[in-house]
Amino acid sequence: MAEYQNIFTRIQVVGPPYPGVPLGRESVTRQGRTGHWHLLGRLGDAQVGPIYLGMTGLLSVICGFIAFEIIGLVMLDSVNWDLRQFVRQLFWLALEPPPPKYGLRFPPLNEGGWWIVAGFFLSLSVVLWWVRTYRRARALGMGTHVAWAFAAALWLYFVCGFFRPLLMGSWSEAVPFGIFPHLDWTAALSIRYGNLFYNPFHALSIVFLYGATLLFAMHGATILALGRFGGEREIELAIDRGTAAERGGLFWRWCMGFNASFESIHRWAWWFAVLCPLTGGIGILLTGTVVDNWHQWAMQHAFAPSYPPEAFQALPDPLTLAPGGAR
Amino acid sequence: MSSMLSFEPKYRVRGGTLVGGDLFDFWIGPFWVGFFGITTAFFTFFGTALILYGAAIGGTWNPWLINIAPPDLKYGLGLAPIREGGLWQAITVCAIGAFVSWIFRQAEIARKLGMGYHIPVAYSVAVFAYISLVVIRPVLMGAWGHGFPYGIFSHLDWVSNVGYQYLHFHYNPAHMIAVTFFFTTVLALSLHGALVLSALNPPRGETVKTSEHENSFFRDFIGYSIGTLGIHRLGLFVALNAGLWSAICIIISGPFWTRGWPEWWGWWLNLPIWR
Amino acid sequence: MSYAVKAAGAAAALVASVALLFTFERPPVDSVQVGYRGLGMEQVVNPRTIPATLARNEVPEVIAQVPAVGPKAGQVYRNIQVLGDLSVGEFARTMAAITTWVSPEQGCNYCHNPNNMASDEVYTKVVARRMLQMTARINKEWQSHVQQTGVTCYTCHRGNAVPTYSWYNNDRPPRAAGLAAGQAGQNLAAPSVGLASLPYDPFTPYLEQDALVRVQTPAPRVAPVKPGIKDAEWTYGLMMHMSTSLGVNCTYCHNSRAWYSWEESPPTRTNAWHGIRMVRDLNNNYITPLQPEWAANPYGPPTGPVQPRLGPHGDPLKVNCGTCHQGAYKPLLGVSMLRDYPELNAITRLDAPPPIRQ
Repeated sequence: MAEYQNIFTRIQVVGPPYPGVPLGRESVTRQGRTGHWHLLGRLGDAQVGPIYLGMTGLLSVICGFIAFEIIGLVMLDSVNWDLRQFVRQLFWLALEPPPPKYGLRFPPLNEGGWWIVAGFFLSLSVVLWWVRTYRRARALGMGTHVAWAFAAALWLYFVCGFFRPLLMGSWSEAVPFGIFPHLDWTAALSIRYGNLFYNPFHALSIVFLYGATLLFAMHGATILALGRFGGEREIELAIDRGTAAERGGLFWRWCMGFNASFESIHRWAWWFAVLCPLTGGIGILLTGTVVDNWHQWAMQHAFAPSYPPEAFQALPDPLTLAPGGAR
Repeated sequence: MSSMLSFEPKYRVRGGTLVGGDLFDFWIGPFWVGFFGITTAFFTFFGTALILYGAAIGGTWNPWLINIAPPDLKYGLGLAPIREGGLWQAITVCAIGAFVSWIFRQAEIARKLGMGYHIPVAYSVAVFAYISLVVIRPVLMGAWGHGFPYGIFSHLDWVSNVGYQYLHFHYNPAHMIAVTFFFTTVLALSLHGALVLSALNPPRGETVKTSEHENSFFRDFIGYSIGTLGIHRLGLFVALNAGLWSAICIIISGPFWTRGWPEWWGWWLNLPIWR
Repeated sequence: MSYAVKAAGAAAALVASVALLFTFERPPVDSVQVGYRGLGMEQVVNPRTIPATLARNEVPEVIAQVPAVGPKAGQVYRNIQVLGDLSVGEFARTMAAITTWVSPEQGCNYCHNPNNMASDEVYTKVVARRMLQMTARINKEWQSHVQQTGVTCYTCHRGNAVPTYSWYNNDRPPRAAGLAAGQAGQNLAAPSVGLASLPYDPFTPYLEQDALVRVQTPAPRVAPVKPGIKDAEWTYGLMMHMSTSLGVNCTYCHNSRAWYSWEESPPTRTNAWHGIRMVRDLNNNYITPLQPEWAANPYGPPTGPVQPRLGPHGDPLKVNCGTCHQGAYKPLLGVSMLRDYPELNAITRLDAPPPIRQ
């Protein structure tokens, strides 16, 4: 197997940078210098820049920066402005949403108020970024598929941080900003609401997560394996089927009896990727609002397996033996 | 033959096999057979039959509830009675046989079509992840009983409990890396799929766009476009890393760490630089 | 970038990744199955840590037993309030044992005025008397947790005047105001919860107050008043403490697919349930009422050790699971020292309301 396997680009041609196809009428101009980065060229294009920042892009970056700063400063405050401890405990630190007693009211700034402010700016930032994906596509006369895919991710973001807390009547149900703390939140969500593994929409979301990964591995490998036939020219091959498209299709047809086309594989990809946060968001939205204990819900709907009771040697709930409340 | 595509006959030529020469070099419907097609079918047939047998003696035909569990830990790395996990052992052998056959089948088809070996190599990462769960980790821990049970929801009960064996599995560093790769893969796939579709499906009245439009969109968007070839390299890289780090994250849980995963981070908290 | 810099970077990366390998353990490991096969309920132990565990839990040599004959200590000595029913010989043996268990370095004078042994002027004597009552309370009324094994002073003290593992109120943030004052008592690297960023003082609500530990509602649909995600994080914090204190994992007591389900929980969970109530009882009826004694002597008696006896909020050092267990699934790995010291069962006056078991 000493033959070329199309893993890295071995010879790079360096020419003048390409400024990009002409922009639509409503656009301003592209900004930024263009350059070549050799290491990037080993994997893909070596050209870096230009970028189209525009007003929405600029505002989005500013809003994102404000949110980032608030989160960072609160984290720094939580270790008494000790920079060494800030670095040491960075993964543990967080900007925490308000405690339950405030419900949906605006709490004092240092009791979750900053969380709401940071969340507001971050939300503004991602929404402006969405507008940007839509308008950049239109400015080049392209479809808006990127924008709608991004919207699916925003759906999950807003379910976790806005819609579900709203339905639950408390900001305290929302996700903290922090590395380990948001993982604690994830685990606690599952613990509190009776095991997310028994949430069918969570299961679907994982299927699409793994499915999308499988699809990208299959698709990426297929295109790379077709390198010597120019398989990466997907637009051209989708319009005018060449031998790369024929071989790629036949590989899967001979392997598993079915194949996509050079266009339809991207529809499969788009839907798998988009359905992952879409179904995930539905699953989160139903958790606590409609279903309080997924394991019990699963038992009611006969999809939770049972195990021989004697394997546990279980004793009865001590509360049933002693009168009184659940303490 | 109706199962053939219009351009297919010119590709259906002999050659490219690794084993068996011309003996199995034929098609059944759309499927190419080959030696490894035969072995795949053999292992799949027996594996499925054993699963059906397991369901029959397991007391339920509800597909969500069927559970074929590995042996008790007391059997160690030995064979267990068929009803006490032996069935799981036999099914595992069939599954590995079928999966590995499939790798070689993909390699043979790639050879027939003059393609690179990227697909079998990529698929072997997924098979490695499976073998990590049912062979490598159980062997390192000294009992087949550490494998996961075969059942749609029973395997999730296993995932839950194995996670809580280490108190808080989200703190497993390799699990963090794996999840990050999974999410990155979905992000990258959505962007790639959407970009190609947006070039091929422009608004009404516009012509179909080119890969230079794709590049221009991404440079306008984030200041960089990896290009048509690069995105497939990147996609394959992140997808395979998701599987690889998943395998690593479960192999280290138990054999290479026995306590709570949050506690593992103690080395970082206790580095001498903080004193 | 020069090649020297590149080479140095590569070497540093190599050293760092090799060093990272040493943060892990290695096979072989021991495992014990708890539940049904393939369910993943099992304890995993690194066998190379077992000698250290055995050494940590070695039981001191038993002082030779003496017959329960002769005059009672209460008749011979003055100011004997809880050990009066012992014979003089038994009484002396008990005093000798307590000294080796609690104050081997300071000796009798840790609690006694050597010129007047009967005097209560050294505050530690008052504390010690109350602790004897507490020991009797545990052995008599909390057999649902300690079974027949029971406890002695040594279970917690292990030769230390102040037990190694204790806790104090830390639920309020360390600072009164600031951007992060309301961080809900979490999001720091906390040894109390096994280095997670979970709430770092799960003791105050659950082991002093009687906050609701259960967060999963038994009803499948929405209940009118219900705990939230943050409550689950607090419970998780307590459970992290229990796991790390006992050196076990979550599946020791739970089938994690349904935490709430008693039908799928090993009997260890029932034992732990009583343990939580027991610790609450000890803190509220035995430790906290002694607060004035420690407040008057915040760094201990004159004999030392000089060590804080109160937390920053002025509350005493209290009991949690780690105080007795000290990393072992059973304190002292299940060896019953009480069997060798029946004198501790002679205490009849417990001076506390009946225990709350709900």
